[in-house]
Amino acid sequence: MTLPAIDIDNLTVTVDVNPVFSGLCLRLPPGRKMTLVGRSGCGKSTLLRCLLGFVPFTHGSIHIFGQELTADSVWQLRTRMAYVAQEPEMTAGRVRDFLEHPFTFAGNRHLRNNLAEVPTLLDRLLLSQALLDKEISTLSGGEKQRIALLSALLLDRAILLLDEASSALDPAAKQAVIELLRARQALTVLSVSHDQEWMGCSDALFDLCDIHSGSAT
Amino acid sequence: MNIIDIGVWRLAAGYLLLAVPLGILLWLRLPLLGQTLTAVARMTLQLLFVGFYLQVIFDLNRLWLTGAWGLVMIGVANLSIARGCRLRPSKLAGGLFLALLGGTLVPLLFLVFVVLEGAAALDAQYLVPLCGMILGNCLQADIIGLRTFYESLRQNEKAYLLSLAQGATLKEALLPFARNACRAALAPTVAKMSTIGLVSLPGMMTGVILGGGNPVTAIKYQIAIMVAIFSGTALTVILAIHLTASNNFTAGGTLDKSLFQAESP
Repeated sequence: MTLPAIDIDNLTVTVDVNPVFSGLCLRLPPGRKMTLVGRSGCGKSTLLRCLLGFVPFTHGSIHIFGQELTADSVWQLRTRMAYVAQEPEMTAGRVRDFLEHPFTFAGNRHLRNNLAEVPTLLDRLLLSQALLDKEISTLSGGEKQRIALLSALLLDRAILLLDEASSALDPAAKQAVIELLRARQALTVLSVSHDQEWMGCSDALFDLCDIHSGSAT
Repeated sequence: MNIIDIGVWRLAAGYLLLAVPLGILLWLRLPLLGQTLTAVARMTLQLLFVGFYLQVIFDLNRLWLTGAWGLVMIGVANLSIARGCRLRPSKLAGGLFLALLGGTLVPLLFLVFVVLEGAAALDAQYLVPLCGMILGNCLQADIIGLRTFYESLRQNEKAYLLSLAQGATLKEALLPFARNACRAALAPTVAKMSTIGLVSLPGMMTGVILGGGNPVTAIKYQIAIMVAIFSGTALTVILAIHLTASNNFTAGGTLDKSLFQAESP
């Protein structure tokens, strides 16, 4: 039996004594693409941050490929996930430096050869090769989002967490991103989006306002 | 010692010079008069207290008493740094104390046993001023270093969390912030070293000259103390970041926000 990529059971998250959600159950098999939907403030981004260990949960459990997420295991589990924030925080410098930076971490050094995929990925995401030597501060919002996605894909993780990763993209760029993700059949994607086109290309939608059960089987 | 002592009345007359800044404050109607007078009163009382206390320490000249005085100074510096950084003292206390202790003790012992004449320099006359100068600079460096470190982490939390999400260890994710903090903390000492003697006579040198030493001896002391200060500040900042960080991050690596004191309205 294949272990679920993400298995969330009876999860309760409280931020500053306010419950964000409680009793959340969600199971996502490997390779499936699920989009979290629901009104603003129902905890979609919080759930992604929770999976990365940035937001503690008060109840329930999270398993990533069968391994329970704990304060100890989160460091290792982060190397199985990649994350793209809604407004990617990029430090000053060139795009090339931003893409190379994660490979300075000891846990990623063995993946450094993945940088060879950069030209191909730039093409697939409708980005110019000349972008590599540009200062990040000069990029548009859409370019930043795609560069952040490219950086996440270079890490070759099994799970991709996307928080409104298409919000600044024009239709052509959005289509390019969707096609690129759909082509990666083994990649599990859990995304947050309000975009109808994005939702239409997902294997499953999960409404966080109705959280008692959900699966993308 | 051929130093001219200052009589009580002459010292009191020295306060007359305050007429200049106070006159400027009144003329410009700056709301600093009360604060200035309080500061002058505090300075006088603190220095009187320290003067009497040091007189006792110098007269008794016991190493344990000098050491106890040093520990008290480090304890006071500890609280001043937490207040200066606007961080909770309880979240910094232990680590910061050790950082100050290491940053002060290592260069001080090096000065005493390598640069000066060993056991003879263990007299309170040497230890107290040397310790005070090193500690005073460590205090400034720690305020700048810790404030830069934790404030930049708070302001750039997304970039920090991105590093964690990309698989960085805590040390790897904190490294750029520690680097910036050290740069900010050491810059004033580097700037001071590069201009020292050109625009003003530094404190140590002035003290030796006033105490009757010749300028060449004064310069040798000044060089030794500047190098000791620089090594002490570098050591205390890196230790302060390292030792306080272990207490201010969750097991998952996120910054514990209770470290920051609520801003007063």
